[in-house]
Amino acid sequence: MADAELRNNDFSLSDDQETLRATFASFFERESPIDRVRSAEPLGFDEKLWQQLVSTGVPTMGLPPDRGGDGAGLVELALVAEQAGYRLAPVPLVPVVTAARLLARCGNATTEWLAAIAAGTRRVALAVHPARAGEAQLVPGGAVADGIVGFVENHLVLATRSEPASGPRNIGSEPLTWWDPGDPHESLLEVASGAPARASFDDACREWRLLSAATLVGMAQAALDLAVQYAKDRVAFGVPIGTFQAIAHPLVDVAGAVQGARHLAWKAAWLADHEPEQAPAEMEMAYLHSCRAAQQATAVGIHTQGGFGFTLESDMQLYFRRAKSAALLAGDPRARLAAIADHLYGPAQPELTGQR
Amino acid sequence: MDFAPLELSADTHAFWDEVRAFYSEHLTEEMLEKEHREGNGFIPSLQLAMGARGWVFPGFPVEEGGAGLDPLRASLVEYEMHRRVGPLLPLFGPIHLVAATVRVFGSDELKAHVLPGVARGEVLMAFGYTEPDAGSDAAAVKTRAVRDGSEWVITGQKMFTTGAQLCQYSMVTARTDPDAPKHRGLTMFLVPLDAEGVEVRGIETLGGERTNFVFYDGVRISDMYRLGDVGAGWQVASSSFAVEHHMPNGTGGLEPIVPRLNEFGWYGVLGALVDAAVEWAHAPRSDGSRPIDEPRVRDRLAEAALDRELMSVTPGPYVRVSTSAALIRDAADLLDMVGPTGVLPRGEEGAPVGGTLEWIHRFAQGTSIYGGTTDIQRNLIAEQLLGLPRHRGVLDRRS
Ligand SMILES: Cc1cc2nc3c(=O)[nH]c(=O)nc-3n(C[C@H](O)[C@H](O)[C@H](O)COP(=O)(O)OP(=O)(O)OC[C@H]3O[C@@H](n4cnc5c(N)ncnc54)[C@H](O)[C@@H]3O)c2cc1C
Repeated sequence: MADAELRNNDFSLSDDQETLRATFASFFERESPIDRVRSAEPLGFDEKLWQQLVSTGVPTMGLPPDRGGDGAGLVELALVAEQAGYRLAPVPLVPVVTAARLLARCGNATTEWLAAIAAGTRRVALAVHPARAGEAQLVPGGAVADGIVGFVENHLVLATRSEPASGPRNIGSEPLTWWDPGDPHESLLEVASGAPARASFDDACREWRLLSAATLVGMAQAALDLAVQYAKDRVAFGVPIGTFQAIAHPLVDVAGAVQGARHLAWKAAWLADHEPEQAPAEMEMAYLHSCRAAQQATAVGIHTQGGFGFTLESDMQLYFRRAKSAALLAGDPRARLAAIADHLYGPAQPELTGQR
Repeated sequence: MDFAPLELSADTHAFWDEVRAFYSEHLTEEMLEKEHREGNGFIPSLQLAMGARGWVFPGFPVEEGGAGLDPLRASLVEYEMHRRVGPLLPLFGPIHLVAATVRVFGSDELKAHVLPGVARGEVLMAFGYTEPDAGSDAAAVKTRAVRDGSEWVITGQKMFTTGAQLCQYSMVTARTDPDAPKHRGLTMFLVPLDAEGVEVRGIETLGGERTNFVFYDGVRISDMYRLGDVGAGWQVASSSFAVEHHMPNGTGGLEPIVPRLNEFGWYGVLGALVDAAVEWAHAPRSDGSRPIDEPRVRDRLAEAALDRELMSVTPGPYVRVSTSAALIRDAADLLDMVGPTGVLPRGEEGAPVGGTLEWIHRFAQGTSIYGGTTDIQRNLIAEQLLGLPRHRGVLDRRS
């Protein structure tokens, strides 16, 4: 066995981090109650809530100080994203944050945009798959974005469209839009090109997945909390259904999966902030496991609530639907396995396999 | 939050080298091979060598037979051992638990009589809770202890007393008041296994670990061997599980690794499983091709690596339940990955990675059973951490 590197394994939050977490837990509890979430459907966007969020500084807090941010790291962003996920806040937090951070890494051409994002007058979204003219992709947050940042045939571009975006209906009530870089645009600003552009784009997509992982952790935790409460309150055969192990044990497994997912996301975020070269495998693991944990939590949650859980009256369905969209938009989550293997074991050498 | 590599002082590095050299000398391939065949759970000569250095209780003060090591060094002693033995020697951790129970509940006389020998590595101790009709319902024991002057006479049958064939003592729950409710009529004893009337009979297991029936036929022991008050056996047993979370081995920066390993080394087993699978995947076949270049292999290794990382970050009470499930799932899947030669056990010509995957696949099944089944642990988590109303089985345990 190779010499394992011994690392600290300290998941405690600093006072500042704890304050941040608590502040946004109460912000979203107050500002994103479930009826506001429901009334933002089907688009999944509440402009007023976005403006409130802008006034907290969150959308740009992850930018470097010289680009108008607070230099907050992914750990801090993940703490906020989890709380947004817990309350299903109908705002494109992850798309804007990741796209803005990407722009900030690509020179000064977009300074004006970053200022506008900070002021709440514009929003950007990240197209999370490499793009090509003639191939439309669904861009998360794109339906409410003024600009889309995408990687188009070796160039990183900031695209603004002539037509106002419209979003297709979708399982997660996400403000999605179709985007094809070959469509007519008002402007297509190239912000980087070549290998550095590709590397920055890959980083941004990993950040998108990581912050989505944190969001999914929040959703999974909320689904678990709803289900546990229901299991305490609902009576069948004269006892609370939580006394039945068929109900209790799956909830225990969900609780374990959610706690593991949260810690993976935190550790991945910490590594990305402090030792970026060590981070990619952990980030992919965090995303894949969060997708699974949220799927498990919301499916168990529906089952725990019985027939009620299957009705649209139950809030569980709101979580169930969003858990799936957050897991699908970056592509088949299982495809992350290949990325994990690449990071851990190096790329496959098909020429060797080809000899078979 | 901090996941930075540990910064070890030159002194600690030197100590670490010393630990490695120690195991190279005292934990040889031949010993491990014998352990594979016999599944004893202890290697007495290793225990003695560790005792000589105070490493049975490395964090204890020297006066108590320890080595007075800081938490980090104490952890390195255990960490290095587990890296070498993987799932072998599962009894190294539990002995701390019995010793901790003796420290808390034993009389001064008993402590002076037993603990120095344990620290020297001369004395080994086992758990004797389970009986043929008392497993999960651990308070349902039928073994009787009847007072006779300053002595007790113990009669009954224990099952799954792992390590009893080598141990000097077994910590036994016995019924002292058959008329009291089942949890109140128990008393705990540290029974010397060389006493007259004790018979140990081996039980072979699917995972290769040896465990035992222990028969007690009118075994006479002094009252000195009682742990805790008469009738308080259930509290003593429960405390011994609580103590599990405050192991004498320090935690320090190694916290994620070492306390996990105290849990019968399951986290370490998952690591051993993944390492074996990765090793298999990198070995070229006769045509030069390597499994690691095939997508189906890469996906599976990534799944298992994800589980390994996940278990290393999953907190406290959940990790045992989820690690056991991950072990059972991943061992089966990684064995499938290997294909036909996966059926070959250790020692058989052509067995991949020395049969490690095949062995861990069998071994994994036990991890959901001993130390209290994972179902029992789920009951406890549901009640104590999720706040769900008590399940009947749990209710019974408290009555
Ligand atoms: C290799 C090995 C080593 C062991 N070493 C020791 C040792 O050193 N000392 C010792 O004292 N014991 C030891 N044990 C015993 C072990 O602790 C018991 O086997 C275990 O607690 C389960 O008890 P049981 O076998 O009687 O199963 P049972 O209690 O009969 O359980 C059978 C099944 O029913 C389930 N079940 C029972 N009650 C409930 C409930 N309330 N809720 C949900 N499910 C339930 C169980 O989870 C299990 O799946 C060992 C066992 C093994 C296999």
